[in-house]
Amino acid sequence: MQPTPAVHWFAKCGFSAGVLLLASGVATAWFGNGLQLPSTTTRDGTLITLNRYVREPVPDVVLVGSSLAFRLKEEYFATPRLRNLALAGGSPVTGLEIVADRPHLPKIILVETNVLSRSTDASLVAKYSSAENARPLFFRPIRTAVAAYENRLHAPLNHAQVSSALHQLLERPPSDFDNRIYVDRALEQWNAEDPTAAVHMNVSKIAHLISEIERKGSHVLLFELPCSAQLEGSRSAKITREIVHTAFPHPGQWLHIEYAREELRWADGVHLDERSAVTVAQSIDKALSSPPASP
Amino acid sequence: MTFTSWQFGAFVAIVFGVYYLPPLRSLQVQLLVVASLFFYGYGQPGLLPLLAVAVLGTYLFLILALRNRALWLPIGISFNLALLAFFKYKFLFIGPASSGAAGLAPIDFLLQLPLPIGISFFVFHNISLLVDLTGKRKETPDLKSVFLYIIFFPQLVSGPITRAEMFMPQIHPKYFGDIPFVEAAKWILTGFFFKLYVANNLNEMTSYMDFPLYETLRTQDRWLLVFLYSYQIYADFFGYSAIAIGLALLFGYRLPINFNLPYISVSFSEFWTRWHISLSSWLRTYLYIPLGGNRHRAFRTYLNLMIVMGLGGLWHGAGLGYLLWGLLHGVLLVIERPFLARLATIDSAAFRRARMGFVFVCVTMLWIFFKLPNFDHAISYLSGMFTSSTNPNPPKLFYNLALLYSLPVLIQHLVPRSRFEQTLGGAEPYLYGLMAALMYLEAGPETSFIYFQF
Repeated sequence: MQPTPAVHWFAKCGFSAGVLLLASGVATAWFGNGLQLPSTTTRDGTLITLNRYVREPVPDVVLVGSSLAFRLKEEYFATPRLRNLALAGGSPVTGLEIVADRPHLPKIILVETNVLSRSTDASLVAKYSSAENARPLFFRPIRTAVAAYENRLHAPLNHAQVSSALHQLLERPPSDFDNRIYVDRALEQWNAEDPTAAVHMNVSKIAHLISEIERKGSHVLLFELPCSAQLEGSRSAKITREIVHTAFPHPGQWLHIEYAREELRWADGVHLDERSAVTVAQSIDKALSSPPASP
Repeated sequence: MTFTSWQFGAFVAIVFGVYYLPPLRSLQVQLLVVASLFFYGYGQPGLLPLLAVAVLGTYLFLILALRNRALWLPIGISFNLALLAFFKYKFLFIGPASSGAAGLAPIDFLLQLPLPIGISFFVFHNISLLVDLTGKRKETPDLKSVFLYIIFFPQLVSGPITRAEMFMPQIHPKYFGDIPFVEAAKWILTGFFFKLYVANNLNEMTSYMDFPLYETLRTQDRWLLVFLYSYQIYADFFGYSAIAIGLALLFGYRLPINFNLPYISVSFSEFWTRWHISLSSWLRTYLYIPLGGNRHRAFRTYLNLMIVMGLGGLWHGAGLGYLLWGLLHGVLLVIERPFLARLATIDSAAFRRARMGFVFVCVTMLWIFFKLPNFDHAISYLSGMFTSSTNPNPPKLFYNLALLYSLPVLIQHLVPRSRFEQTLGGAEPYLYGLMAALMYLEAGPETSFIYFQF
């Protein structure tokens, strides 16, 4: 057999590449990027949450925070139209800045203040802050196919669908998982770092963003999530708490959440386990439904 | 400048455009040398003088060794090994924190220099140059040819490690009409597809193997990720080598094949004739055979194997994990050696498949020491594969995605090439087109090539 002339070979190659690209482009234009792609990393999860936030109608309540608040899944909350934009491995300021830059704001924005030592993710802010939804030209065919399959098998649940399972979870006793090795490691890290400069910078950014958001008519409340006693006594946690409470001293600026601390457990001393996350989410529900402290 | 960046694409397009201009034909070698220096210096301009010292030093020792091989060849080799040892293994002997404490400015400056990218590869090129050219008493090559052989940009950073006696005869004027465009395109498209579609996507999942993330994994996911890493490291390095071969073809040079379906090997010795072929043949030629190879008694052969594999492991990095990885491969080679002849007489497809599976599983398990060079982390990961996980909040891995991203490696290894080509018939260019589109649409997040660190 004679070898295919190079020009013919490249023409066929370019043709099939063009067909697949065109098909993906047409499908994207036709169906949009509505399908929630599966996340294989926490970064993926972040993008999915943010994509959904900019695509869907503006919710009433938005949570921003770090990996601590990330554990509070949206279906744990009874509060309707609540969206959790906490970024695992990220800074609460990133989420706050994205929300503040959007043309329409939620009524209430809750800001977790436990971890303020990380810098803002400028690329995420730039990507999601504009009024236009950052929609790619082509979708990813493999991931979209898997997403369709996964969504069909395991569609995301809302609070009503999981409430009985959550109830059963709370009926069970708290976990007896031995987390000492993880607590020790986290404690060593939290005692080693001095977050003073970063926290000061982030706190001043938060103050600036709060005044901007409140000028547009929305309300911002700060909140702290519980950590294990050892971690709360660490150097980093103490410095962060002191700076934040000095900058925001008024009780009216805070969401006061009440929970039975002895019921809470942490997988690693820092992040709430599932049962505890449900407990804290319900406490936030209660705090949101109670009248705010007078200024 | 990585192969997957747009800057690299622009760089290649410009160099290629100028390279074949008829008025510049007599300057092709010089042009490639300048382009390669630009490529290397783009990321680490401060290390260009080191590259120059390595090449010029080797050239000087080459000239001297051509006059008196017995005296100057060992000195030339020592010079290169000293370079490698200094930059790669200095922190085995001094802590990174004390790299500015010598008190002498030039020494402190050298101690503070980062590990030059590709040093393991260009040092091996230098040694090959010294041994090959002085062994056959050839004429002294000109300096520009030596420069090109050592720093030719497609192979500079991660090989394939080309032997001087294979590369040097290829240095002559090149013509546009001689370019095997289709062959080059196939290599380049295959390479990018394996890197962008397979390796980068699998890397997202195998990042859970890093410390301390692996502690959150379920036991079955630890097993899955080890196998995914096995596919990833193959796709990553095979991808790089394929791109290098394709690019070299565009400039008229044929580099050696570096991979030949390593995961279908039925023995560990066969694995090393199929995996990173250019490194294993370099080690065989310049280390194993000079050590005596298998020309002496069995014990000596085993010792030689262990030395070669141990040093091969250390070549990848200054760490106990790399050494152990190499030595364990050495142990497997030693254990199988007495049985190889007998095993070869068993004519059974099922037995052959069982051997293939056994070799693949062993090789895959040893990749843990590659992924986690910290010995404690590797052992901790390994032990977690044999105990049930108690973590209440494990990450979710999508097995269907894992399969779809691994599929090209599986198909490449499990479907015989002849049957694949027969099935494909005239549809081959269409398949490459689909691969090109898919690697763009479905590319995983950018990560550097794994072998860049070596």
